[in-house]
Amino acid sequence: MANYKPQFYPGKSKVSANRKKYLDPSYKLEKLRTVSDDDVVKLMGHRVPGEAYKSTHPPLAEMGEPACPIRELVEPTPGAKAGDRIRYIQFTDSVYFAPVPPYMRAWMGHTRYRGVDIGVLSGRVPLEARERDLEKIAKELVETEIFDPARSAMRGATVHGHSLRLDENGLMFDMLKRYIFDKKSGEVVYVKDQIGVPLDKPIAVGKPIKEDELRKRTSEFRCDGDAFRDDKELVSFIERLHMLRTEAGFDPNKVKGM
Amino acid sequence: MTTEKGMFLEALRKKFKESPEDKYTKYYIYNGWKQSKRKTEFVAEGKKLAKERGVPFYNPDMHLGGIPLGQRVLMPYRISDSDIYVEGDDLHFINNAAMQQMWHDIKRTVIVGLDSAHMVLQKRLGKEVTPETVNHYIEVLEHALPGAAVIQEHMVETNPGLVSDSYLKVFTGDDETADEIDKRFLIDINKEFPADQAKQLKAAVGKKIYQVLRMPTLVATTCDGGTMSRWSAMQICMAMVNSYKLMAGEAAIGEFAFAAKHAEVIEMGTLMPWRRARGPNEPGGIPLGYMADICQASRVKPDDPVWVALEAISMAAVLYDQIYLGSYMSGGVGFTQYATCTYTDDVLDDFCYYGADLVKKKYGGFGKTKPSWDLIKEIGTDVSLYGLDQYEKYPALMETHFGGSQRAAVVAAGAGVAVSLATGHSTAGINAWYLSQLLHKEELGRLGFYGYDQQDQCGSVNSFSYRSDEGLPFNLRGTNYPNYALNVGHQSAYTGIVSAAHGGRNDAWTTNPLVKIAFADKNLIFDFTHPRLCFGKGALREFMPAGERTLIIPPK
Repeated sequence: MANYKPQFYPGKSKVSANRKKYLDPSYKLEKLRTVSDDDVVKLMGHRVPGEAYKSTHPPLAEMGEPACPIRELVEPTPGAKAGDRIRYIQFTDSVYFAPVPPYMRAWMGHTRYRGVDIGVLSGRVPLEARERDLEKIAKELVETEIFDPARSAMRGATVHGHSLRLDENGLMFDMLKRYIFDKKSGEVVYVKDQIGVPLDKPIAVGKPIKEDELRKRTSEFRCDGDAFRDDKELVSFIERLHMLRTEAGFDPNKVKGM
Repeated sequence: MTTEKGMFLEALRKKFKESPEDKYTKYYIYNGWKQSKRKTEFVAEGKKLAKERGVPFYNPDMHLGGIPLGQRVLMPYRISDSDIYVEGDDLHFINNAAMQQMWHDIKRTVIVGLDSAHMVLQKRLGKEVTPETVNHYIEVLEHALPGAAVIQEHMVETNPGLVSDSYLKVFTGDDETADEIDKRFLIDINKEFPADQAKQLKAAVGKKIYQVLRMPTLVATTCDGGTMSRWSAMQICMAMVNSYKLMAGEAAIGEFAFAAKHAEVIEMGTLMPWRRARGPNEPGGIPLGYMADICQASRVKPDDPVWVALEAISMAAVLYDQIYLGSYMSGGVGFTQYATCTYTDDVLDDFCYYGADLVKKKYGGFGKTKPSWDLIKEIGTDVSLYGLDQYEKYPALMETHFGGSQRAAVVAAGAGVAVSLATGHSTAGINAWYLSQLLHKEELGRLGFYGYDQQDQCGSVNSFSYRSDEGLPFNLRGTNYPNYALNVGHQSAYTGIVSAAHGGRNDAWTTNPLVKIAFADKNLIFDFTHPRLCFGKGALREFMPAGERTLIIPPK
């Protein structure tokens, strides 16, 4: 075990390499844009910037926790220490070369952040955490290469759109029109927060990543980009995984050479 | 890989004004719900009724943020293998009388063997049982079953105009016995089935005589499925007393009652455990193999097991996904959208026929090769990647199946049906379904809703886990199988996987020959030989169901 080096993901394609990269917490995600701390808070819509964090319990230091080896082993996150409530950020990622599809987003959340609860669906990935921890995580999720203003979006509800064709500006469809393409600045501007409540002032989240750049950064296979079927190692890895699981379910003694 | 089928392209061209290959479109210009004839009708009706009842009602402006449905194209759906285009709303079972009737026709059916009763009559009571007495008994029961008195005085009875869909039929595997039965009562296996299927079925049934009893649709809509064997048993006993001149209450009647309620009864669905708490003859207890047998498409096109499987899938989608999981277990309206993908726009048809061509090309036909890892991997992977390619090549297809659960169901169904066809083995077929789900998840980096994680990522392990080397236990799974109890979009395809395995082998039935014969009946209201067409008629409001109450309600 001492020499074990996690590989994070199988496969030899460019897409697999991107998946490995994003899942590896030692890789620093490239920052592509700046969104202020206050704007991130406004986009999520859970509290007003400057407002105190709402708490669900007193700070842990004041609670007199019972003796517990796990509590001694695991350092609470700052939000847990303070007793913050749990809030969320949820993303929808287009099938058209978004930087990360749902499973990558979820696995990446697990390898990179502590104290998060993540769900995966085809059209959305909710990430829940203590509020001050969430704000820190959300900032990285919005500012770095794993977010494209046109093909990724923050959507608390009515997430419909990941699989729909793009609009005339290359944006992913959003029924609630939480964001628009500002032709003058060339930027995507949020006019509503993630749940769809209008913002007092629009918030720009930067220019859409150019198509060729997006194709370099994406961790989505597509037959009009990097085809999954061409990554033979990955396909055979999945087939083998399925075969071993099946045989183990039938008779675990039949599985040899693991 | 074999040739692309492109079966869904015609529907895609009707659904969207852009070419199916276009990646871009326009939004927010479609006038919301007003683009939909059906939703416009709903709004008018909702307004009128809200006024009448004095309580707010249907109002699409209540949608989140005050933005109503219809910011994108509210696309129509083509019923697969037909020219019928309908709106999505027409495929919710509440809005579709054919869907309701399919379920009611299944729910109100029980099969009861006659042999035990005849043995009691002959051996215990010394009564003679002849073709004449049998025909007389049946005629008495034709009167009694819908709710009429046969031995009592001053009884209330049901209005024949309300229960005309209630009757019984009988069948036997013995040609001589069948000849003696009045043709009005007989399901004639020789007439209803192609010759080779009739031969298999008659051999399975032998000399036994079975009654197929249909309780009134109104009983099905008012009472639960557990009522059916009780209703039929009561009327069977009364008819026995009448036709064989028995004492009402002599000990032998208890034997008839036991036979009619328990010993000789075949319910369409078994009792469910307390945590899901439904009686017999409710959808959750109907095994996949029974659903495949209830579908009668195999009598119409026995040489096209793909078509047969697709017809069975449509029935299972409506019953298991839309009605059972979508309503009994979940509530709300969302499940319809998941389920209709299997029987609309010819998408699953395309994937299944692609798989069938591949099987013919690589393995020389259906049911000719034993299951093996090489075969499951080759066919399962090829069909899965073909299906996923279609979504990526045709953005309009991706937009049609806009939820991952729809895509996951249809792609994996194609893979499972193909492996079933190749091997004649439904457990191999279901294993390919699970391989497909794992491949899909890695290719797209997404699959379905949470349930797909639960069911499909442990499916490889449980597909061969229970005595799979001793038979086909998969045929007996259903929505009551622990992992399948909450997951829409699966059991429909599983029914197709069972159907294709046996269709590929030219079997006359998949799981129970009695169930197969019981639904080979022209008097049924729903047409079990062409379920998709029937659902289409329901959507067009051209299907006339049973159980209407016009006789006992004020005229409008």
